[in-house]
Amino acid sequence: MQLSDKLKKQSIGWLLISSLIIILLLIPNINILLNLFTDTSENWQHIKKYLLMDYIKNSLILIISTGLLTALIGTLLAWLIAAYEFPGRAFLSWALLLPLAIPPYIGAYTYAGLFSYTGPFQVLLRKRFGLVVNQQYFDFMTMRGAIFIYTIFLFPYVYLLAKSFLAKQSASLVEISCLLGKSATSIFFKVILPVSRGIIVAGASLVMLEVLNDYGVVKYFGIPTFSTAIFKTWFGMGDLTSAVRLAAIAMGVIFILLYLEKLLRGGRQYSYSTSQIRPLKRKKLTGGSKYFATMFSFSIFGLGFIIPVGQLLYWSYLSDGSKWGNLLEYSTGSILTGLLAATLVIIAAIIVANTVRINSGILSNLFARITMLGYSIPGAVIAVGILVFLLQVDQFISWLMQPFAIEINMFLTTSLVMLFFAYLIRFLGIGFNAVNSGYQKIGTKFFEASRTLGKSVTATFFKVDLPMIKPAVLSGFLLVFIEVMKELPLTLILRPFNFNTLATRAFEYAADEMIYRAADLSLILIFCCTIAILLVNQLRKGREDASEN
Amino acid sequence: MKINNLSFKYEKNGDQILNNFQLEVNKQETICFVGPSGSGKSTVLRLIAGLEVPLSGEIFIAGRTVVNDQVFIPPEKRKVGMVFQDYALFPHLNVAENISFGLGKISKIDKSRKVNEMLDLINLNGFANRYPHQLSGGQQQRIALARTLAPNPRLLLLDEPFSNLDESLRDEIRKELKNIIKQIGITTILVSHDQADADFMADRKIFIYS
Ligand SMILES: Nc1ncnc2c1ncn2[C@@H]1O[C@H](COP(=O)(O)OP(=O)(O)OP(=O)(O)O)[C@@H](O)[C@H]1O
Ligand SMILES: [Mg+2]
Repeated sequence: MQLSDKLKKQSIGWLLISSLIIILLLIPNINILLNLFTDTSENWQHIKKYLLMDYIKNSLILIISTGLLTALIGTLLAWLIAAYEFPGRAFLSWALLLPLAIPPYIGAYTYAGLFSYTGPFQVLLRKRFGLVVNQQYFDFMTMRGAIFIYTIFLFPYVYLLAKSFLAKQSASLVEISCLLGKSATSIFFKVILPVSRGIIVAGASLVMLEVLNDYGVVKYFGIPTFSTAIFKTWFGMGDLTSAVRLAAIAMGVIFILLYLEKLLRGGRQYSYSTSQIRPLKRKKLTGGSKYFATMFSFSIFGLGFIIPVGQLLYWSYLSDGSKWGNLLEYSTGSILTGLLAATLVIIAAIIVANTVRINSGILSNLFARITMLGYSIPGAVIAVGILVFLLQVDQFISWLMQPFAIEINMFLTTSLVMLFFAYLIRFLGIGFNAVNSGYQKIGTKFFEASRTLGKSVTATFFKVDLPMIKPAVLSGFLLVFIEVMKELPLTLILRPFNFNTLATRAFEYAADEMIYRAADLSLILIFCCTIAILLVNQLRKGREDASEN
Repeated sequence: MKINNLSFKYEKNGDQILNNFQLEVNKQETICFVGPSGSGKSTVLRLIAGLEVPLSGEIFIAGRTVVNDQVFIPPEKRKVGMVFQDYALFPHLNVAENISFGLGKISKIDKSRKVNEMLDLINLNGFANRYPHQLSGGQQQRIALARTLAPNPRLLLLDEPFSNLDESLRDEIRKELKNIIKQIGITTILVSHDQADADFMADRKIFIYS
């Protein structure tokens, strides 16, 4: 089959637009890699000699510890919720997702404030019990603190994946092990962990990528990592070449990480043959283990949601009200940005996913992979790539316009275009995965039926595909919306002058020790994300119920 | 309908499923493919419908070349109707919308007339507003047939039309299907595992070996 024949079979328009999206996505990244071969500044020698090892070491410690801890906690909770019946299970099943509504940097300043010398915890100890504790143990702004923060706010990634995997896939294995007389603990360690290894690794690597992407927590705690280093060399020292070089090294670390992930997953598929799917029957816990399960799950939920939100509410109460005008301005700005970016991303995701589906082959596989690239690479790194690229485009535009005596300077790099472009690159993968899972669920038969009934690829898309994948599209949209709302490093670097979101403003207030002010903004942000998470969860449930019929 | 020297494989370096396959079907004839599982019966139907592109060879339908070395007519322009093994009724559309799906741009009145005509044909009047999940397997199959026949295709392809039905229904559906095919006089190719089905339905049987 020649390529031209293939194209005749498919619709070429979809392929062209998708290719364009993919190329746009690749350029900034390639830009960074190309910059590896340019000359370095003197500053770079200094960074390399004295600082680089620290960045690498700190980043590695953070991602590895967080990865392990979230894998452990996430899987344990997933197993409890999927396999056992205990008081509060139904509530916890969705409540344990809510820590995702709190951006880690907000969690970071909340916990740091909670445990500081003047924070409620130490005050209580001093006033009530006359205890003055050793500050060393209560200093949250350390590596340990950062690991705690990441773990408690990011474990739902593992929890969510592992839970639905276990609930659907493990029934027969568990039953057989029970029949063979294995105890619950030995089933967990000998059966559950090994069979769900792939999915746990997948969840944990999402967490690790998030940690590597994070700027807010490490900046606030003063831990030098790649993200903070890129910010510092670029804005602090005005040294773009060194920032690019750091970005390139970070990309190297990520490629190693992704390669390791592949190895660890062991080429294992997520799902067993679909015909055998049977939901896992939950076992009723009794006696002590019942209370242990409830207590354990509730305390994680408390740490990941109730305590930080409670603290924020308390601060908000103390702050005798922010200016409503400002709150409204930042909120609408943020929400509009989120909705607009999510729309843009999901449209691009649908186009690419549809193309990938109708053109099976190497190219499609490649496209699917490249969409995830942006999500794998830290925001600060993408930001560098995009800025370098758009500066070139801007220069080109001014050069083009010169003969006409029109002066267009820095058109792209000073507008919101740049920021939205960045969101597209970073979050296309999330949208794509959601849409793609919708497509996988419906398969190709409806598409083919429609084609034989006289409808073109595009007509089929609007009449058949889109209505059928609507829930998947909607979840993808909401997931991207949540991410954009929480996003910090990209927005901080690429936003136009005077443009603020809830996230950037809350972060700046917190960094300036104006925590009361940050509280209101954070609460609105958390509220929006909570709603979105609950909606996604509802959609998932709907789809799962539908597929069981 | 005529097939000349058709060759095909699914992947670049996969097994060749068809090698210089030849077939000629006369107007208004019903033929049935029989052969072991995996021999490529469904594949031939997919090639005729335009859902796959052959390595080489030619297919003519009603005197028109639909595929050869230079030409490839996409499935939506071939006027070939195909009933899928699991029917593939659109779950978001009701019966009437499913049947009128392939009718193209015609007036509402013409559309509903056609839908009623088709429902008459398959004996399912009064089901127009149901959704596919509210229908039995046999009813779904008949709706799928109506949906396929509504745009007046020049060729009807049926991939294992009886495999999803239980024994008791089979006899009845078989008779009904044969009646409908003869009534419209459409050229038909069907695939079946079952010798009895093939004998009953087809004017001619074609054996396909792997
Ligand atoms: N999408 C595909 N990709 C790769 N190989 C395929 C694909 N579909 C079918 N095949 C292979 O092509 C061969 C022929 O398949 P086909 O479905 O045409 O057989 P069949 O005669 O219809 O079988 P059955 O009677 O079981 O339906 C089989 O060996 C099958 O494994
Ligand atoms: Mg078949």
